[in-house]
Amino acid sequence: MLNVIELENRWKTYKIKSFIPHAIIAASVLLISVVGYSFLQSKESNQVSSQKNVVSETIDVSTHTQNETKTETAVVQETKTKPTIVENQEPLAQKIPLETPRDASADAKMKLAPSLSFIHEMNSNIPYYQNTEASQATSDAQNLYQSQEQTQEEVIEEENEEKIVQAEEVKSVKIERKNTHDDILQVIERFKKSNDPALSLFVAKKYYELEDYHKSYNYALITNELNNNIEASWIIFAKSLVKLNEKEMALKTLRQYIEHSGSNQAKLLLEEIRNGKFK
Amino acid sequence: MKSNIFLNSKDVFLDVVNHKDYVQLDRVSTIYQSLKDSVKKPLKMVLLYGKPGTGKSMFLTKLYSDLSSLQKVYLYQTPILDESEFYKKLAFDLFQEEHTSELNFTQFMSILNQHVTNEIPLVLLDEAQLYSNILMEKIRLLSDTRKIKFVITLHKTEKEDLIAKEHFQTRIWESIELENASSAELKIYIQKKLMKANCFDSANMFQNKNINLIYKITNGNYRDTNKLLYTLFDIYAWYEQNNPAKISLNQVSNKIIEMSAIHTGLLDA
Repeated sequence: MLNVIELENRWKTYKIKSFIPHAIIAASVLLISVVGYSFLQSKESNQVSSQKNVVSETIDVSTHTQNETKTETAVVQETKTKPTIVENQEPLAQKIPLETPRDASADAKMKLAPSLSFIHEMNSNIPYYQNTEASQATSDAQNLYQSQEQTQEEVIEEENEEKIVQAEEVKSVKIERKNTHDDILQVIERFKKSNDPALSLFVAKKYYELEDYHKSYNYALITNELNNNIEASWIIFAKSLVKLNEKEMALKTLRQYIEHSGSNQAKLLLEEIRNGKFK
Repeated sequence: MKSNIFLNSKDVFLDVVNHKDYVQLDRVSTIYQSLKDSVKKPLKMVLLYGKPGTGKSMFLTKLYSDLSSLQKVYLYQTPILDESEFYKKLAFDLFQEEHTSELNFTQFMSILNQHVTNEIPLVLLDEAQLYSNILMEKIRLLSDTRKIKFVITLHKTEKEDLIAKEHFQTRIWESIELENASSAELKIYIQKKLMKANCFDSANMFQNKNINLIYKITNGNYRDTNKLLYTLFDIYAWYEQNNPAKISLNQVSNKIIEMSAIHTGLLDA
């Protein structure tokens, strides 16, 4: 005899039982997807935090670079007008850290620049150059930034002074040297934009000629990193090392290069360094 | 009145072997025709095999029903396990000889040889897997005399396959396998069976999704389908009487199909 009520209860039990595997599968899929999603999220957040680090570094470097560019521009302007104006750069350097941080899009743009490490390296060089070249900074530049009116007045004064100085010291070596530095600075700027190893090689050569062996060494190294097949960069590099009293390192570098390229010029230089002809 | 519909429908699926309940399906009809043709051929033995519930007994009953008016045909639905009784029954049916004492194989063979008839009698043995191996071997020897033709049915299980191999492989000239119904055949089977009994309303209640569920539960086995539908209509009759709001007359409920399957043991709850 049928007991339909009991049968209904058994049917409910059967239904629950038959749903259990589906529920387990669904729960497993849900769990896996949640775990997978959280894993991906954590991975992405790690990537974002590392990117943030990179960006913050880039900000430092880019700010520095911007400062540098501004200082250089100031130097160029000032050297063009009057040698003494270069002295105004120290206040400029003080002013720059007060600048507000650049926006994120600008940072992103800077981040994509491939030559930041070199620029960063150059940043350490140029202040040195500025300090040496423009060690007598005065309050003129401060005025330049404090008020535009004052700056304009200063410019007028400076122009007058420049005329006087140029008239008095037109034949002095110092002025010629500053012009050479102007050229170098312009080339450095172009190099920053283009990353052309030919430009950095030119800078290295110029600094070598100016007997600034630290910088010639640096730019030769930069050139070599951009393109290690340029013979001249190796030669300048080795010569700068000799001048910096790193003769052994110069010899070692030349030997490695000769081994790699068989360059005759490098061989000749090696011999000269060995013989003491090149000091 | 409505209850009568379900009660009548329930009776349609009573698990009884009646040639009148035979449902003509395309594939089944082809097989049946093949069986009829085999019987006409001068074969010694015909083996009809298949899984339980595939309709072997129904085939045999139908064959008996169809041929009984045309030739000498004897149907043994229940196996006669005692050997002497088996020979005595054959002697009585085939030659109208009644033996009260024991009858052995040799004696029966002599009886068989005494009667020369133009018409070879056809003996239909259902559930032949229940016969002992010795008796099966003797049945084979009887069929070798070509004085009796046997049609036997066997369950297709591993054991029965073995029996078929040992006793009949070289003797049988024709073997016919019966299989479970397909989903489409099952639908025709159910609806034809109901319509045959004038249960048109309940026949129309079966939708494809119901048939698919029934097929899934019974795997197309006719006996299981009969059991399931018998219970199904029993439950419907109960609801009709006790809680008619719970059932729809337009469509069979899958829930009730599953309840029927649980009741008949086809689903494990």
